[in-house]
Amino acid sequence: MQRRLVFALAVLAVCLGSAPVAAQVPQGTAAQLELGLTVTGVRIEPEAVSMSRGDTLLLTVILTDASGQRVEGTQFGLARASNHIDVQSIKDSIADSYLMWGVNPGESAFAIWVQIPDDSAGFQWKPLDEFGVMVEDWPVAQVDMMDPAFETYAGTTFPLEAKAMTDHGTEHFAAEVTWRSETPSVATVTPGGVASFSQPGEVTFVAAAEGITARRTLRVVENPVRQLDISPGYVTTRTGDVVHFDVRALDGRGRAVQGIALTYGVHGLDSAGAEIYTDGAFVAENPGTYKVMVTAGGLAQEAIVAVEPRTPATPVELIGRHGPSDVTTSDLWVFTGNDGRDYAYTGTHAEGGGNRMYVWDVTDPANIELLDSVVVDGRVVNDVKVNGDASWAIITREGASTRRNGVVVLDLSTPAHPTIMGELTDSLTAGIHNVWINGDVVYAVNDGTNAMNILDLSDPTNPKHAGRWEIRPGEEDKSLHDVWADGRYAYLSYWDDGLVILDIGAGTHGGTPTNPVFVSSIKYAMGNTHTAFREGDYVFVGDEIMESNDLDGPLSPRGYIHVIDVSDIGTPQEVARFEVPEAGAHNVWVENGILYIAYYQAGLRVVDVSGELRGDLYRQGRQIGWFETAVRDDSGLHSNATLAWGPQPFKGNIFVSDMNSGLWVLHHERPAELSP
Amino acid sequence: MMTRAVLGVVAALVAATPAVGQTPPAADYWVYVANESSDIVSRVRFGPDGITEEKKIRVGILPADLDGAHGLSVSRDGRHWYLSLAHGNPYGQVWKFATGNDRLMDSAGAGLFPATMGISPDGGLLFASNFNLHGNHVPSSVSVYFTPQMEELAKVTTCVMPHGGRVNRAGTFHYSACMMSDQLVEISTRELEVARRLSLTRGMEQLLPVDAADAMAMGDGICKPTWVAVSVDDRHLYVPCNGRGEVLEIDAETLGVERRFATGKGPYNADVSPDGRFLVVSLKGDQAVAVFELATGRETRVPTSQPLTHGVVVTPDSRYAFVSNEAIGHTRGTVDVVDLEAKELVTTVEVQHQPGGIGFWKMEPRP
Repeated sequence: MQRRLVFALAVLAVCLGSAPVAAQVPQGTAAQLELGLTVTGVRIEPEAVSMSRGDTLLLTVILTDASGQRVEGTQFGLARASNHIDVQSIKDSIADSYLMWGVNPGESAFAIWVQIPDDSAGFQWKPLDEFGVMVEDWPVAQVDMMDPAFETYAGTTFPLEAKAMTDHGTEHFAAEVTWRSETPSVATVTPGGVASFSQPGEVTFVAAAEGITARRTLRVVENPVRQLDISPGYVTTRTGDVVHFDVRALDGRGRAVQGIALTYGVHGLDSAGAEIYTDGAFVAENPGTYKVMVTAGGLAQEAIVAVEPRTPATPVELIGRHGPSDVTTSDLWVFTGNDGRDYAYTGTHAEGGGNRMYVWDVTDPANIELLDSVVVDGRVVNDVKVNGDASWAIITREGASTRRNGVVVLDLSTPAHPTIMGELTDSLTAGIHNVWINGDVVYAVNDGTNAMNILDLSDPTNPKHAGRWEIRPGEEDKSLHDVWADGRYAYLSYWDDGLVILDIGAGTHGGTPTNPVFVSSIKYAMGNTHTAFREGDYVFVGDEIMESNDLDGPLSPRGYIHVIDVSDIGTPQEVARFEVPEAGAHNVWVENGILYIAYYQAGLRVVDVSGELRGDLYRQGRQIGWFETAVRDDSGLHSNATLAWGPQPFKGNIFVSDMNSGLWVLHHERPAELSP
Repeated sequence: MMTRAVLGVVAALVAATPAVGQTPPAADYWVYVANESSDIVSRVRFGPDGITEEKKIRVGILPADLDGAHGLSVSRDGRHWYLSLAHGNPYGQVWKFATGNDRLMDSAGAGLFPATMGISPDGGLLFASNFNLHGNHVPSSVSVYFTPQMEELAKVTTCVMPHGGRVNRAGTFHYSACMMSDQLVEISTRELEVARRLSLTRGMEQLLPVDAADAMAMGDGICKPTWVAVSVDDRHLYVPCNGRGEVLEIDAETLGVERRFATGKGPYNADVSPDGRFLVVSLKGDQAVAVFELATGRETRVPTSQPLTHGVVVTPDSRYAFVSNEAIGHTRGTVDVVDLEAKELVTTVEVQHQPGGIGFWKMEPRP
């Protein structure tokens, strides 16, 4: 994420004659700087800058004074707003001129600046004006028409697809493909490519882009469908629950017709806010009665859906809270120790000096007791995890005075007073942001290399490296943030590279716990993939986005939960989302159809994710509880400032760590009625 | 809602006064120091009324991550300060602030773990060494920015783990050290290319091919250089060998080693007093600074207030050195003031966590 630039115009390409482009505009003479003060305007030749990708253009800059007269002899520069163009000064050869190359297609801009004196014998840049520039893509060389997605039966309608390809073999960035039919009596097509096949015969479609055309002749056959059934014809459901309509298209002999394009529609009879997908799945955000329609050729059928509201959200009850008032709290882990008592371990973050992990007795969650802390050489203890039999824990460290961070292993023989029994810093010096324990194997997110280090803790007193996995080995432009695993697959949150799934023993792709094998990945335009957690067929993936234009302003995290369907592990699909408007998701936990989200400034959010998920879960009323984890007094680090970090359900309660107020124990009564 | 303004308010005045027997300062001095494990920049004022952390400026991007405010440099005209943020996703950033009101003015992307920044005398070019401290041991770069718009003009590939860059007074060359390649690298500020590189491994101190960016040093004689300070007349370069406890004085013309100054453990940063008399070297492993009189090479050791002594900058009147001390863990770091004439610690002030990069802003004589 980048903060805004104060001055929007960016990359400067300036002059030193024929020297390399990358050099500075030297400070002008005193006379040049004074002359710069007289400049009030600028114009360029040519007046409109447009070029093709790869072309070169000679640009002349003419500076003018208040009377419109040309001013010569100043020291001026040119700044471009993006990498659509490259620029090099040739002022030493041709007065006041630049060479400009088209690099990447698209619209951009550049600006002209002039040097003027400052108040300390130096100079400052005065902006004069900015100009648009258009870089056209390489010319379209061919149009590729895709095979139709459905059978071309008379009476059906569906979109056709084509791509405009440049003479460099790339898809043209902007060329619009327009369609026409040469046989409109058989089939018509909209300019955008939606074809309607009206009667049997041969039809030739023409797809054109920038004068380049492609033709394809298709044979339209009689629609064999004689009967269309939709089931159920009437159904009741709730908002957020997915109804699948089964549509059967049969020919005259009662046989199923394959490959026919079905067209769905939904219409609210007394409400609005429902969606039906191309696979016949229906989901509503608002209660009411909806009519679902499906057509196949000339046949149509309807069904009625009566949608009831979901069970309303119920209060989340406060059971207990405790927390440091002098340091920020980070992640947590709650478990039952070998002495039968329940413990919560919480990390600490930078504000206040995060060099410790706190030990809390939460056996009586209404009376949380601080027992101890483990101090390490560090300034952040970001993550805390306890292994399956609660015999050891691992904490991650950042900000060590030695700059050798790595992981620290704790002996939980006495869980009320854990002690350090090992550490591993070799090749982990930058710090480990997050870890996940899978038996004796620990998956560790390396802050320095952005790889996942695989650690062997079969001897927890002597943790060892057991492997390493990363996307694009050898390349540095990647960012790994978190890892979660279930023994079969590991789910890596790889920031702008999205969710990456590895086989670590599922038996599907040959991976093992220490030698993972890539399975699939999915990413989305907004990037910032921060965390993941799987239950059932879904992986719940959270973003972390921090956008602020004002360093002194309030923290304003953004980002939401993407619901990824991994029922086909090789082809993950985003099917739903949960987004609290104007807040930012952080860590998540899913258990028995309930999603718990530490939603930064929105506190704890409890979401019913039972059953099949489609669409916008928040709008569907699937949020069933929430709690603002902020203290109103001075018992936390900051009062009236919710900043929830991580949730964990445990023995019927929900434990939440909040950066500003520490450890919370909450209770939410599970709704009797979840989705089937 | 918590606001960052909470941290931006003027800090309570916790002034410490100069030690008994020292002549009180006749001016006020200001420095900025980056606190790497707080993501806060402290503005420290020292003068006749003592020393105080005058202001705390919140920096960084993700509150749930340490972005690592590491390097800090102030432009020679005192109008801007620049901060390197070491960590990102994955790349770090360089931010530009106005001095005084400390407003963020602009920012630019950098490489992996941008650290030290050198600025050309006219303030127009900023060189950020992409330290890549924790990544793979592969050649990294020095990013060069045109500061009026904070745009990267070039990424000059230099060596493995570049650090400690400075531009000479003439503005013609930028020098940086390479901790893992064991080299001194000279970049032409006109060509923005490596002009020369010098091996610093003992017994192998010789010029290397300009393209020897991936060389790795091994053996007993490793210098492990961390910094380059330039003499006032541009004739000498001073390179602390962090790995073997000495500072090299190198002829800037020939790149030949002229003198070696033995130091304590872990010489790290260095600065030359503007009057050319003193070379002040932070000793990270000895909790001290070494003050060398350059005419004679005589060293005086001055203990500092906290361990892991890091940054050092000398005042324009050559009277004081401001020194940052990282400290350990939960303990806050400090900024010390060392009197270069008396060779004594004058005073100290507690700042935030892990102060490192330090830059001198201004001095104002008291009437």
